[in-house]
Amino acid sequence: MKKSVPLIAVLVAGGLTVSACGSSSTPAASGTTTPAPTSSAAGSPTSDGESSGPTGSSSAGGGEALPATTISVLAPSYADSSEADWKTIIGAFKKVQPNVTVDLQIEAWDGFSDKVAARIQAQDMPDILNDNNYGESADDLLYPVNEVMSPETLATIEPALLKNGVGTDGTQWAAPDIATSRLLVYNTDLFKKAGISAPPKTWTEMEDAATKLKAIGVAGYGMPLGKEEAQAESTLWLWGAGGTWIDGEGLKADTPAAAEGFTEMKKFIDGGLTQANPGSSNRQDVADLFNQGKVGMYVSHSGLTATTRDKFKDIKFAETPIPSKSGTPVGYGVTDFILAFNNKDEARKAATKSFLDFFYQEAQYGPWYKGTGLLPATTDAIASATTDDAVNAPFYQALKTVQFTPSGYKQWSALQSALQATAGKLQSASAADVLKEIQAQVDAAG
Amino acid sequence: MTSVTTEATSSPPTERAPAPDKNRGTSGFARFGMALPWLLPAIVLIAAVVLYPAVLMVYNAFRKFSKYGFEQGAAGWNNFETALTFPGVPVARIMLNTVVWVVVVVIATLLISLGLAQFLNKTFPGRKIVRLAIVIPWAASVVMTSSVFLNALDPNYGLFSDILHRLGLLDSGTALTQDPTTAFWLAVVVAVFVSLPFTTYTLLAGLQAVPGDVLEAAHVDGASAGQRYRQIVLPIIRPAIAVAALVNIINVFNSLPVLQILNRTPGYNEGLTTTPLVFAYKSSLGPGVSSALSVINLLFCIVIIAIYLITVRPTREQ
Repeated sequence: MKKSVPLIAVLVAGGLTVSACGSSSTPAASGTTTPAPTSSAAGSPTSDGESSGPTGSSSAGGGEALPATTISVLAPSYADSSEADWKTIIGAFKKVQPNVTVDLQIEAWDGFSDKVAARIQAQDMPDILNDNNYGESADDLLYPVNEVMSPETLATIEPALLKNGVGTDGTQWAAPDIATSRLLVYNTDLFKKAGISAPPKTWTEMEDAATKLKAIGVAGYGMPLGKEEAQAESTLWLWGAGGTWIDGEGLKADTPAAAEGFTEMKKFIDGGLTQANPGSSNRQDVADLFNQGKVGMYVSHSGLTATTRDKFKDIKFAETPIPSKSGTPVGYGVTDFILAFNNKDEARKAATKSFLDFFYQEAQYGPWYKGTGLLPATTDAIASATTDDAVNAPFYQALKTVQFTPSGYKQWSALQSALQATAGKLQSASAADVLKEIQAQVDAAG
Repeated sequence: MTSVTTEATSSPPTERAPAPDKNRGTSGFARFGMALPWLLPAIVLIAAVVLYPAVLMVYNAFRKFSKYGFEQGAAGWNNFETALTFPGVPVARIMLNTVVWVVVVVIATLLISLGLAQFLNKTFPGRKIVRLAIVIPWAASVVMTSSVFLNALDPNYGLFSDILHRLGLLDSGTALTQDPTTAFWLAVVVAVFVSLPFTTYTLLAGLQAVPGDVLEAAHVDGASAGQRYRQIVLPIIRPAIAVAALVNIINVFNSLPVLQILNRTPGYNEGLTTTPLVFAYKSSLGPGVSSALSVINLLFCIVIIAIYLITVRPTREQ
């Protein structure tokens, strides 16, 4: 036994070093401290940012030179070009404000909120965050957006969308930077083949269409109840039943309308009218199946339909409003937001303001939003895109009537987490039980 | 890992007399002072990468955090209560899964590795190549291996799914990774697969110490192969087995990537062990609750190791 002690020691030490497969991902800000002014604008013919802002504002990225400081931007990747699109703006901004360095960190949407939380916990909050909610406002971590954007810039944003960034306390915590509207997208060839004459308007017609599609061997309706999009999918059915998450001062999941919506979803799942395993499918999984002609219809947005159009030319599709129980279309919209964290540093705050005013100028914002494949949030861009971007006209049309998820409510992030974690259980549990559980999770997280 | 060379001498029947101690007469404390400079780098390393995070974890478990990790004051035992009673989380089932996970993966790994090590200890042409081949799952990251299995089992385009479907073992459209129970057992298989190399090499190192002449002598004396294995080989590689078992228990208990990647069912389902649950809590409830569960997890791991040490007594003197 004595003899083998060193052997054990070596093995344990070796084993521990080898087996230490930790998965801690420390967020490393990709320090682009030296922007290449010309080479970064690869393939995007932007004119250098015109530093003459709207008349009468001295703050639109121009004006007096700011003192040297560094601000950081944390943004999700909407498309492959996202990083390049941001860098183009940052490069142009460097020409206007040579003393201000802008660090950029781009992360995938998958697990994005964990990345944000990691930076908050490391006391390394980005000055500018592009995200799909502003739950951080509950922790008093943010500047109200009107402190870091000039009134002229805020005025360029479509008022209906801007409202979405107002918290329940009445403060404008976030400014929308991108919008999407959702429509039911259906495969016209499959509909013809299944003998469906017109796109469905009510749940009954939708069930009927899905049954006919099932008969020709494809999934009728693509239902993503997985972790990524469960909150969107369940909201569609809740609104389709005429309900809402909002209940007086707060939010409530377990309501009769929600039960009705969830029961209808359950009907689709149990009837085999959806793709296999809806409880663990994400929107992208459903879109992939649609692109392979294995799903007849699903709720989609312009970013996904653009991919179908470009890369899957044999899939012929059309858009139609999202059906509801009564037949009144469900208008579902999402905005993503620009948030500004309060890092208690006036120089950084001034630089942040200067950068955001610069960002929302048409010359910067236009190419940037086009790169995302989604819809713009400024009035001018929406107006010009509605005429230029004919293929997405139905989505712009829908944008006028959309409702949004109640992201201004403090409980929304708890409700969203609960829906993402639990809505997928509809596959095996009853609608009432699932809603009870979701409600309990919201209450426990409160 | 560096190659382990051990003296392949037969262990003497009697203990050698200990070498005369040069430092006899100096107190233990003074000797410790002399050793300190040599120990310091290791102590600093352990303090920085083991003790500090562990202390921070325990501290965080008693603080209230928002979902985003913003500290809001003291929490008492609330985080622990939330971690164990959060609605919709089958805590008892997950704890049971964890025990099953550790026991099954470690025992299966050890048994298969014993066979593999025995095989690799034989001399045959191309032994070096085979030994290298066994290393591959070890060289590849666990995340990579798990992702390969995940994609191969995809119901729509996975290679394994396709093969199983053609063999009539699987309905098309059935995704093993999207059902908590099958995903759990699939993860067990993958976890065994990625644990084999380290365990095999540990046991192989132990087997190198088995003296050939003793085995030969036993053979001449008429011991059967089974007797030779049980009475000579096993006692000699006992310490190696002990190390392999201990390291594997810790490693498998804390293994996150395999289950995290292969279990595609969202939320708090019945195919989880406690480690992925810690991460699920981290994103939905913030660091306070997940730290509390980590503390429980650590105690749980210590209990499992204690049970192993008490029942098996792997370091018992012969």
